[in-house]
Amino acid sequence: MDLADLTRDLETLRDDALASIAASTDVATLEALELDILGKKGRLTAILRGIGALPADDRPRVGAVANTVRGAIESALAERGTHLRGSALTERLAAETLDVTTPGRAIRRGSLHPSIEAMGQIAEIFSQFGFVAYESPEIEDDLTNFQMLNIPPDHPARDLWDTLYVDVEGHLLRTHTSPGQIRVMRSTEPPIRALLPGRCFRYEAIDASHGSEFFQVEGLMIDEGTTMGDLKGLLDQFAKAMYGADKKTRFRPGYYPFTEPSVAFDVECLVCGGSGCPACGRTGWMTILGAGMVHPVVLQYGGLDPERYQGFAFGMGPERIKMLKHGITDLRLFLDNDLRFLEQFR
Amino acid sequence: MRVPLSWLREIVDVDLTPDALAERLTLLGMEVQGIIAWGDDWRNVVVGELLSVERHPRADRLSLTRVDVGSGEPLDIVCGATNIATGQRVPVALPGAILPGERHIERTEKMGVVSNGMLCSGDELGLTGDADGILILQGDAPLGRPLTELYGDTVLDVDVKPNRGDALSIVGLAREVAALTGAPLRMPPTDLVESGRPIAERLRVEVEDPALCPRFVGRWVSTVRVGSSPDRVQMRLLAAGQRPISNVVDASNYVMVELGKPIHTFDAAAVHDGRIIVRRATAGERLETLDHVVRELDPETLVIADPARPLGIAGIMGGAASEVGEGTTDVVIESAIFDPISIRRSAFRYALRSEASLRFEKGQESRLARLGADRTARLIAEWAGGEVAPGVVDSNPVEPEPAHVAFRPARVNRLLGTSLASSEQRDLLARVGIETAPAAPGSRVRIAAGTKPLEVDAADAEVVDATVPSWRRDLSVEADIAEEVIRVRGYDLVPTTTPRTAMPTYRHDPLAVRDLVRHTLAGAGLSEVVTFALVAPRLVERFPARDDGELDGEPEQRAAGRPIAVTNPLSSQHAVLRQSLVGSLLEVVSTNLRQGRDDVAIFEAGKGYGSPGEPPTHEWWRLGIALTGAARSPAWDRPARAFDLDDAKGVLELVCRRLGFEAPTFTPITDDPNLHPGRAARVQAGGRLVGRLGELHPATIEALDLRAERIYVAEVAVAGLAGGRPSEHRVTAPSRHLAVERDLAVLVPLETPAAVVEAAIRRHGGPLLRDVTLFDIYRGKPLAESDKSLAYRLALRDDERTLTEAELDAAVAAVVAGLTTDVGARFRT
Repeated sequence: MDLADLTRDLETLRDDALASIAASTDVATLEALELDILGKKGRLTAILRGIGALPADDRPRVGAVANTVRGAIESALAERGTHLRGSALTERLAAETLDVTTPGRAIRRGSLHPSIEAMGQIAEIFSQFGFVAYESPEIEDDLTNFQMLNIPPDHPARDLWDTLYVDVEGHLLRTHTSPGQIRVMRSTEPPIRALLPGRCFRYEAIDASHGSEFFQVEGLMIDEGTTMGDLKGLLDQFAKAMYGADKKTRFRPGYYPFTEPSVAFDVECLVCGGSGCPACGRTGWMTILGAGMVHPVVLQYGGLDPERYQGFAFGMGPERIKMLKHGITDLRLFLDNDLRFLEQFR
Repeated sequence: MRVPLSWLREIVDVDLTPDALAERLTLLGMEVQGIIAWGDDWRNVVVGELLSVERHPRADRLSLTRVDVGSGEPLDIVCGATNIATGQRVPVALPGAILPGERHIERTEKMGVVSNGMLCSGDELGLTGDADGILILQGDAPLGRPLTELYGDTVLDVDVKPNRGDALSIVGLAREVAALTGAPLRMPPTDLVESGRPIAERLRVEVEDPALCPRFVGRWVSTVRVGSSPDRVQMRLLAAGQRPISNVVDASNYVMVELGKPIHTFDAAAVHDGRIIVRRATAGERLETLDHVVRELDPETLVIADPARPLGIAGIMGGAASEVGEGTTDVVIESAIFDPISIRRSAFRYALRSEASLRFEKGQESRLARLGADRTARLIAEWAGGEVAPGVVDSNPVEPEPAHVAFRPARVNRLLGTSLASSEQRDLLARVGIETAPAAPGSRVRIAAGTKPLEVDAADAEVVDATVPSWRRDLSVEADIAEEVIRVRGYDLVPTTTPRTAMPTYRHDPLAVRDLVRHTLAGAGLSEVVTFALVAPRLVERFPARDDGELDGEPEQRAAGRPIAVTNPLSSQHAVLRQSLVGSLLEVVSTNLRQGRDDVAIFEAGKGYGSPGEPPTHEWWRLGIALTGAARSPAWDRPARAFDLDDAKGVLELVCRRLGFEAPTFTPITDDPNLHPGRAARVQAGGRLVGRLGELHPATIEALDLRAERIYVAEVAVAGLAGGRPSEHRVTAPSRHLAVERDLAVLVPLETPAAVVEAAIRRHGGPLLRDVTLFDIYRGKPLAESDKSLAYRLALRDDERTLTEAELDAAVAAVVAGLTTDVGARFRT
């Protein structure tokens, strides 16, 4: 072997390698070529073993040629590799194409009962005005459900609440959340801003607008200077929050034995906007709750001095609030537990 | 209260349209719930006179009539009624008429004879229940006049509140109209022409119990001819919702509607000895009432009696024996005041609540007793002929002193948030008949404010004395005066302010935990339901309270006690307060399955109820869940997956995780007859969540006719559900060192619970063991039939350094040794 032979061998290897690289069609072949040419036991190494036999002067020259050849092969391998790998990815992506228009995998989602949700929405609005929730028993005594609310036994106003009585002496199923007023007053020093949500019972046949079991939310605010104007302002804010900022509201006289004066609170009809339609009985107004200034007798039963303290109470049916909001016309839907109805409240 | 406007206009001028009047009455507190166009559905019905009545040639039961309707040719009309005769005036529906119920009347042929319209019965006009006879009008009814013009009216349906008994009358509502318009009232005339033998010689009245009958006024009308009232009276009573009966009875009903004074009339001949005694009934005494029911009276009941027997239940219903009928010649008028509570109790006791008892219950002003007697006597004399005997018998002819309510105009403003001058307040009160005068300066005035009156020195504050009109029994405290002021002025005067008073101190929201649980479960795919607290007795029997739900320091700790039953249930389906949610949830499952649902996943946070004795009642909160059918719905690439017991466990684990409780443990139970004995567990999470869950027993599924093969239920007590806070828990920073996992296949007897194996692993794992996961359960070859293999993945970690192989091996070896001794485990190699 002399310098010329070696140089020729290297150039032959280069030409041969470049041709093979150019002809390779996949990454695996290319990697095999790389090993065969540049590997530890590859052809380039084999040629360079001959360097040892050359005179010392020639060795650097062959080394320079070998480096050039190696460089050319390496760059060809890299270039070809990039090319081949790129098209492999393209092929994979093409093979993996999905029909993206198929529906997604359903994730189970439950629902929250509209009566309870309505109570939550009511509480959320009033909480902005400092009202917090209290709870009060569903099995009440006659004293708290009626007498302390200024409804003595045999009072004609008892006709307003058809009552279910239980086989526990002196007890009944509360007909409204109002007895909670007494319990809050007796347990809390004014200032009082209380909400009392909960289940109530009436001896009433179930129809589209009545139920023997239903929910109510009672509100109670008592302090030294709480006026009927505050009641009106607060309820007006509530109606606007619940039904829209453009809704007009009004007070008209009402009657409850435990408030004096008593009012009914009306919102502009949500169906006709006030012009009068069958939904509002042609009056243009829909009654959403009853309210009034706490009767002095009730304040006294609650342990408060009516000369010092005054305040208001209101009571509303969350189902009715929800019915008006969603255009539901039958109260029975709230009790049927038909999932086709309930699942609309997700 | 139905108010025919024509009647109202007799008492007070009304210049408003019915709509405007309704609106203004509503804003005054007399809510008009409807405006009825009375007679609007008698379209094309006129007064006709029967010129002839002959038998139909081909039908025995039909008559051929010739009817003069005032214009044109007389009409031939076929009629099936038997109460008609030549010369009578009757309502005639002409061809093209439309009657109540959108009934169209056309010219028809009946058995070969043309009928040009129809003679109308009271029923066909929507007036009375009488469908058999034609409505016979008075002989002077104007021929050809449309019936609507004669008797049509506008009727307001007013919702009179229970405190305003005085407004259950035309006069009472006229007073409210007068308060709106300032128009004067024209009280119905009560002056009389009296003749014959004075009543004092004919009738004596003894009131034995003046507390129950503070006043009894009697009048006597002789030689009456009982018959029908004039048509206009009958029509007016019908418009007001009263059924005409006879001229004498109609007179008493007329006065009840007009003045609000219930009146009773007796046949004077039935009163023995001319003596009326007002007394309590004696025990066992019997009376046949007007409805022909023989009633046994009790000694609480006040009766109107003669010396021989009771004549009627006071204020409730008269007796059949003294009823005014065709043979009656002399009539006794009873116009009395009764104790409201006594009447209310009697009305409930005999289930005889009526328009009369309703008015008595609300209390009546004494003055009305005399007015009512005189007015009735006048009307009977006018409608039934008769002669009014001179004088009255009156048990208590003294008018009580008017009541007074003192009020402070400043206090009225403070309550309402208004600034009405006291003179304005007094003017407003005057419009509803409340006379006012300033209290003398320096005098001490009692202000009725609540249960205890307040003494105010008139020198310290302006005090006004209000004289309550005799008819207003509802005004007794200062706040009542405030209401009168503002309702007459109009609530639009009340300003719209926001509270400027002090805020209350912080209070924890008792609903916080409940809402957290609700939102967690809804997010996990369960739907919240709300079921009845009152259920059928059989449901309470099948699903009793499970006192194993005791939570330390929670209200649930108390024993449930016996179930509580409603004593006056609406139906047997809602008669007892439930003690468990499971029965109710299964009913929801059932209804939804019947609607074709194949997946039901529901929960309820609800109460159980019981009577432990001391205290008398107990209510506790529970969380119930029920799962059945598809846990995952099928999709194009995979089948549905059915709910199983692990889903139910997973739901409870999720609740525990969300509330910061430790992970729950499940222990097998076999004592619940509603649960599959091999698939039921008691669940417990460190005393914070306690209860039971399982697959429903096939026998229970069958007994309740549930259309599902497998249903999973759980009912647990949850700490905080009754108003507490979520548990606080510590949070640690994540370690910088990764955990190393080692798998371990544990061979144990089939009956060894996985929980026992896992507990042993944790016990022997040492401080390095951070987590244990069961990732496979294997039964079958090559294992013995009595064995199973549980495969666990152990996660081992030290937070400070990387573990060496030797340390890992030692930890696993300790677990293996522990399992071998503790649970007799063997290990596959």
